[in-house]
Amino acid sequence: MSTIAPEPVAGGRTHLAGALVVPATIFVAIGLLGPIAILFRYSLNYFVPGQFMVDGLTIENYVKFFTDSYYLNVLWRTVRVSVICTIACLIMGFPLAYVLARTQSRFKNLMVIAVVLPLFVGNAVRSAGWMTAFGSRGALNASLMGLGIIDQPLEIMFTETAVIIGIIAVNLPFMVLTLQSVIEGINRNVEEAAFSLGAGPAAMFRRVLWPLAMPGILAGTILTFILAMNAYATPVLLGGPKFQTMGPLVYGQFAQQNNWPFGGAISFILMTATILLTVAANLIVQRRYR
Amino acid sequence: MSAAARPSLGRLALNGAAGLSLLFILLPLIFVTWLAFFRQEIPSFPPEGYSLKWFAAVPGQKAFVDGFVLSLEVGVLATLIGLVLGVPASLALVRHRIVLGPAVNTLLLLPLVMPGIVLGTSLYVFQIETEIATGWPMLGSLGGLVAAHTLVVVPWVVRLVTASLAGFDRTIEEAAQNLGAGPWTTFWRVTLPSIRSGIVAAGLFGFVTSFGNLEMSLFLVGPGRTTLPIAILQYLEWKIDPTVAAASVIQIVLIGAAMIITDRYVKLSRVV
Repeated sequence: MSTIAPEPVAGGRTHLAGALVVPATIFVAIGLLGPIAILFRYSLNYFVPGQFMVDGLTIENYVKFFTDSYYLNVLWRTVRVSVICTIACLIMGFPLAYVLARTQSRFKNLMVIAVVLPLFVGNAVRSAGWMTAFGSRGALNASLMGLGIIDQPLEIMFTETAVIIGIIAVNLPFMVLTLQSVIEGINRNVEEAAFSLGAGPAAMFRRVLWPLAMPGILAGTILTFILAMNAYATPVLLGGPKFQTMGPLVYGQFAQQNNWPFGGAISFILMTATILLTVAANLIVQRRYR
Repeated sequence: MSAAARPSLGRLALNGAAGLSLLFILLPLIFVTWLAFFRQEIPSFPPEGYSLKWFAAVPGQKAFVDGFVLSLEVGVLATLIGLVLGVPASLALVRHRIVLGPAVNTLLLLPLVMPGIVLGTSLYVFQIETEIATGWPMLGSLGGLVAAHTLVVVPWVVRLVTASLAGFDRTIEEAAQNLGAGPWTTFWRVTLPSIRSGIVAAGLFGFVTSFGNLEMSLFLVGPGRTTLPIAILQYLEWKIDPTVAAASVIQIVLIGAAMIITDRYVKLSRVV
């Protein structure tokens, strides 16, 4: 008896573990994978104006995207803006992440809150801030003209520059937090060792800090790149109706054109482009830093 | 001399660069806050004077008030359901050898890296298909919105609770059981209190993720049922004035206060 007794307990435990993990797994599987499968199926349907959506099996929607220079331009613009924003986030984020990771200041928590708070305030509100600054009589133009640097207001609002500045500000906190957590895990002694062996700050950064922080750099650039590719509020508010990127394009197909098959196809192209570019960047970086 | 002076000069440049980046992150919030106190309605600088009247106008904006109430409802419900689903799953993932454990873990974290636009369009067609199949009104309903938001809350819960479980000493539980505590008593009196900080952080992050969600919700809200971020976006597409800035300031203050209070219990610099 005594040798059999532990058996049901162990069996009960695995049973319990299953019972604990299954609800969440089923919820996410049905709520995430199911919808994506249906969206892909929709993207293979026909769109007949006036008739809405007709069941079918066609790649017409994908062909339409890749043969029309308008849509290709939108994709190219989105990729270009995302790459610029991601590089800028890395350059601007690294010093701040390093200082946050190494500081002994008692205001460290307050500084972390200052980085995190904008994340939770939402993209629309932050775009509103830039709208205040960029208008023809906004803070930036008013101060530049007040200082006598320019006599005509700069046209920043509704340009690519405005969108890039807006997206950098939105994504920078993500980059900083990702880098900070990785830099905190790097032992300070390795930096000291590099210095005591005669390396200058630049050499120490290039040969020690940068390679050791590579996992965080990769994670941070991937995250900010995905977010930039899929930005919606920032391009709509700072770019205006004429500045199209992929996010607003998808929304327009669903909400205004009611063209679900084409909208679904663009959604898929956006997702695939994001994943492919991420994987490509990953491979290039790994090859260089192995 | 020069060797001693150079690192401190470098230090200064480093701190300066870090300060500029921090300023850049905060700049939009500073501008919005500034605008909320303008006397005139047009956002032209320098302001003609300052006034508090726009804050009094916010409660009169039905879209903002309704949006705030809906965002609060959805955020609280999605966070609670997300915790109920995510905390047990994290326990199982850390404690037990589960078939396909790493795959399950990846799946549960996947909604976090899923682009909001793709998530929104997929859930939109999914809810329409469900409506056709079952006849339940899904699209634009509170239930549909809460279900979608739960999907983005679960990964935060799994990520933060598994992290706090990883540093947990299991011998304490064994000690409790040796002293006669049953599995439930052990869970409630020993395990749960020691991962409380992880759960609080998960709740906070889940809630703010849901509260601020824009891209996904855009596809799922119905006419007359709009969340606060979308109400603000729609207002801004039309115009920018101190009223919307005042509404934003109220939001900034509420979220900032929630974070400072949470920071007293869980050090935010450790969990983010």
